[in-house]
Amino acid sequence: MAMRCKRCRGQAVMEVRRHNAAFCRDCFLHYVGQQVTRAISKYRMLGHTDRVLVAVSGGKDSLALWDLLLELGYQADGLYLSLGIGAYSERSKAVCQSFAAERGARLVVHDLAAEHGYTIPEAAGGGGRSSCGVCGLSKRYVFNRAARDGGYDVVCTGHNLDDEAAVLFANTLRWETGAMARQFPVLEATRPGLVKKVKPLYRVAERETAAYCVLKGIDYVVEECPLVAGNTQMRHKETLNQMEEAAPGTKHSFLFGYLDRAAELFKVADVADLTECARCGMTTQAPEDPAAEAVCAFCRSKARLVKTLPVVEVTTR
Amino acid sequence: MLVTARLRPPDRTVEVADAATVADLLARLEVLPGAVLVIREGALLTSQDKLRDGDKVEVRFAISGGT
Repeated sequence: MAMRCKRCRGQAVMEVRRHNAAFCRDCFLHYVGQQVTRAISKYRMLGHTDRVLVAVSGGKDSLALWDLLLELGYQADGLYLSLGIGAYSERSKAVCQSFAAERGARLVVHDLAAEHGYTIPEAAGGGGRSSCGVCGLSKRYVFNRAARDGGYDVVCTGHNLDDEAAVLFANTLRWETGAMARQFPVLEATRPGLVKKVKPLYRVAERETAAYCVLKGIDYVVEECPLVAGNTQMRHKETLNQMEEAAPGTKHSFLFGYLDRAAELFKVADVADLTECARCGMTTQAPEDPAAEAVCAFCRSKARLVKTLPVVEVTTR
Repeated sequence: MLVTARLRPPDRTVEVADAATVADLLARLEVLPGAVLVIREGALLTSQDKLRDGDKVEVRFAISGGT
């Protein structure tokens, strides 16, 4: 017998086991919109007069988020950062451009190689961080800087319930209390130069963002990043999904329990003093030695990478 | 009864015999239902939906890695 929609009793197309529910197309889209509205409202993430910048990768989460914010009437522009990962990056950029063109939305494009002198595949070969580590660091830096320079009030990222549960899981395994203290659906702009960052999809599972895209006909990049193989977060997600299969709601309880009852207890661990980077002027942690030059992680990483990259000889006539 | 399943990413196609429902198919493929969407002719299927002989379905993994 076909499953019935919990809300309208029509034929269901999507199960949400953690809520012991199934929905038809329209009721599922309503449910996702409701979860995002609730997230925005609970943490006062956005206002309708805010200029919003949505970081888009071409994947399901960020495009679903951009679509939802536009539907909810927010002034949301997209920001795409080209990472230089060959055909994967080309396809990702094209998908974001098509999405924007179809909706008459504005897409801001930045390019890591053109603006900072390296690509993520090059970063995988040297510099001390993993390719995913350099990618995350580069994105956080460029998103904040682009938002600040563009006069945006808030940056939205497509982090979903599974992403947040996996990060919390990793931080808990290592008792990274400083990182746990900063893991919240909202990071306020606590200094000039920092732009507020929010995660409106933290209540929506990634299977649900994928379903949202399929049901809305949003073309997204299904292929996984070619550099992600063996990524720790993927392994943690697989572990959590095994637990979820046995006990639906596990990820939800783990994350929401943390946010509602434990996050406050970790705030004392976020003791970093902030200052300006001596090279780029962006906000960074103050060095422990007051006599040392404050250089942000992005500038340090970039300096290491550019040193390790092969020198290309240019012949002039 | 034979169903053709395209699993992506990455992208591989397999034929599965005697899977009467989506739940049967996923069990045969040893895929966690909570990690995938099953799509037939552009439409999402639930685990209880019945499959037909000759069906072509996509089993789309919804887990992505990142930072």
